[in-house]
Amino acid sequence: MSVNKIPVGPFHPLLEEAEYFELKVDGETVVDIDLEIGWMHRGHEFISESKTFTQSIFLVERICGICSTSHPLALVHAVEDIDNIEIPLRARYIRTLIGELERIHSHLLWIGLAGHFIGYDTLWMWAWKYREPILQMFEMITGNRNHYGMMRVGGVARDVDPVIIPKLLEDLDIVDQKMVMIAGAAKDDPVLRSRLKNVGILTHQAAVDLCAVGPTARASGIAIDVRKDDPTDAYDLVEFNMIVQKNGDVYDKLVVRVLETLESTKIVRQCLEKLKVVKGPILNDVKEVSEGEGIGRYEAPRGEVFHYIRSDGTNRPIRHKVRAPSYVNIPTYVASCKGIPVADALITLAAVDPCYCCTERTIQLIDANRNPVAVDLLKLSREKTEQVRREIHD
Amino acid sequence: MQEIDQFKERMDGKISHLIDKKRRFYFNVESENLREVAEYLFKNLGCRLSTATAMEMMHGIEILYHFSLDRAGQYFCPRVVITDKEHPKVPSITSIIGGAVWIEREMFDLWGIEFDGHPRMEELLTLHHPQGLKQPMRFGRTE
Repeated sequence: MSVNKIPVGPFHPLLEEAEYFELKVDGETVVDIDLEIGWMHRGHEFISESKTFTQSIFLVERICGICSTSHPLALVHAVEDIDNIEIPLRARYIRTLIGELERIHSHLLWIGLAGHFIGYDTLWMWAWKYREPILQMFEMITGNRNHYGMMRVGGVARDVDPVIIPKLLEDLDIVDQKMVMIAGAAKDDPVLRSRLKNVGILTHQAAVDLCAVGPTARASGIAIDVRKDDPTDAYDLVEFNMIVQKNGDVYDKLVVRVLETLESTKIVRQCLEKLKVVKGPILNDVKEVSEGEGIGRYEAPRGEVFHYIRSDGTNRPIRHKVRAPSYVNIPTYVASCKGIPVADALITLAAVDPCYCCTERTIQLIDANRNPVAVDLLKLSREKTEQVRREIHD
Repeated sequence: MQEIDQFKERMDGKISHLIDKKRRFYFNVESENLREVAEYLFKNLGCRLSTATAMEMMHGIEILYHFSLDRAGQYFCPRVVITDKEHPKVPSITSIIGGAVWIEREMFDLWGIEFDGHPRMEELLTLHHPQGLKQPMRFGRTE
């Protein structure tokens, strides 16, 4: 067996974030993968210890640009957990509304990228086109398309104007219809099914052992979802289904996300209807936080976001631990990438929706004559889809 | 809660300083009993290791593990206190839980805690740091 190493990353002009993978390949088969993180030093946990709890909300909101309300939600849950602080009913619906809108736009972003990686640019353009109304809804509700600044310990910072609710429901109907169309197209397309079925399988046992979370775990048959298991905000007041699949392949991860998006539109609609009738304050005035410790968790689009706060009774934490879902999902590559062809590596790496921009990764290799050899994973992936398409249509 | 009662009974004498809050159960465990506690939580109760938090305190270095019993929305948090700040060392739980590999490497990296039995005890975050950072979260903090 002759094993060659394909380095992927860590820096590329197209990447928003840095990450490094080393694929060990025998011929065209990936036999092992090594992962290295630590190319960005952002120091959020350290900086947070010098900020007040309210200031930290704005800090953690900037951990992630895609799920920028998941971290603030987990943080306020952690602070509220110290003293079992209750929040007003209206604020609970608003928090859930924001969280679910974020899930829709994040999943649509991933569906688009997944389509692009395998050469389905129409799916990519559809998904991103219909993500746009969601961002506009955010702008109407919060004033921002991203980094909404809505969460506060004890409630939310801004109320939802009842005047805009009919327009929000109207926009949601359009997104809902389009999502049904995308779901149908994705599920019924024979090429897509052939291309993604049984690719990059993460078995149930591997997912349990590696402690995977979110859609990555649910696609492998693990029925966990913080919204159901430890419901906060309005999740125990709305109806929705947890989407669980069995095979753990890329196709199941796609199905989980597509169906979850439809569940999220269901939740958003229920919240908006409730906000028409539920009146009252949106923020409880929290004067002090006691000495103690609290755990906050929230089901982000990628899985459970975890925050731990240790308080000494002042308005700042003495320890603030943050664990994003990608931190536990990325190590599942060691199980899902082994034995797959190199052409499937890109979509398998992307299937956990890792929190970095895993777009085109052109890697430079040196051949026996010291000449640079370009290996384009995106090109390989798209060529394989084309090959599958030809086989099916011929 | 039934699982907590079972756990207390099974680990009688091995856990102390119990704090039972709503859906959060914190307790102390000696490092020699850590693997047994982790194995029971992971394999018998079916908990998932969410992560672990290291803290430097006046009395030593604390490691607080966070095990999530998802079916009940309950967190079990064993706390190990290492009084030897110069050479902090605890047993690794990676042979029981594959998902502990990165977080143990991170705690080794940022706090200098050595995990006995870890398959790859090297830096996770500062491996390629140009300034060769050493244990950046250790700065002799006081309470």
